[in-house]
Amino acid sequence: MIASTITLHHCLFLSILIFSIGAFGVLVRKNIIVILMGIELMLNAVNLSFVSFGYFNSSLDGQLMSFFVMTVAAAEAGVGLALAVTVFKKFKKIDIKLFETLRD
Amino acid sequence: MSPTIFYSLSIVLVVFSLLVVLCKNPLHSALFLALAMIDLAFIFFELKAPFIAAVQLMVYAGAVMVMFVMVLMLFDLKEDEESAFSGNPVINVFKFLSAGLLCWAISSKLFSYGDVAGLGAGKEFDIKALGTTLYTKYIFAFEALGLLLLLIAVGAVALSRTKGGTHDS
Repeated sequence: MIASTITLHHCLFLSILIFSIGAFGVLVRKNIIVILMGIELMLNAVNLSFVSFGYFNSSLDGQLMSFFVMTVAAAEAGVGLALAVTVFKKFKKIDIKLFETLRD
Repeated sequence: MSPTIFYSLSIVLVVFSLLVVLCKNPLHSALFLALAMIDLAFIFFELKAPFIAAVQLMVYAGAVMVMFVMVLMLFDLKEDEESAFSGNPVINVFKFLSAGLLCWAISSKLFSYGDVAGLGAGKEFDIKALGTTLYTKYIFAFEALGLLLLLIAVGAVALSRTKGGTHDS
């Protein structure tokens, strides 16, 4: 398993591992903020796969894609945290179950 | 990229990501997430993407994490510590197994492909080439992102504009 050179497979496997850990966090946690952190982990894993594809193909597009993903992730975190603040104002708790009452 | 550096950075990244998920205190999770992002910035630097590494440090480890920690400070953290995980332990074992199944499913497909090393690996691009591509090939995506950020700013203000603070004074 310990290879002398790092190939694309190594980078992609690391990316898959981080993505699965983030998905597990989204599934298992109650706190909205920690769920958002799990989503950030998953987006970071996707960024890693984009950058490593770009590196191993000598292409610039991977880096630009990860740049776009970062911007969208920052925007997504902003909206998610605003929703969390709204839910906390009403219920004084940040449980993911309370999101089902978001309509009113 | 040297294997020693890659393996040590990878192990540290996996450990920090696990700690993000498993720490009961959300503030500790935020700290470990910041550390994981800094570690990932080093990996980007090793993959010869210095601009992305710098943006990762500034936007993620800087701005996004400050936003997370500031929102966490608004909340009352004490009551959530004993019930950090949802469901009972049996269901959580199944959730862990499904995450592991996801990992196994993708990676088994990955390793069925042949060796792809050395496809001209290691070419470094300067920031000028990055900017030129961003403003020519991806100009529409760039403008759309600007519009998205404007919408997000308005939407976040509109969402949290309701009367009353987070705590009774």
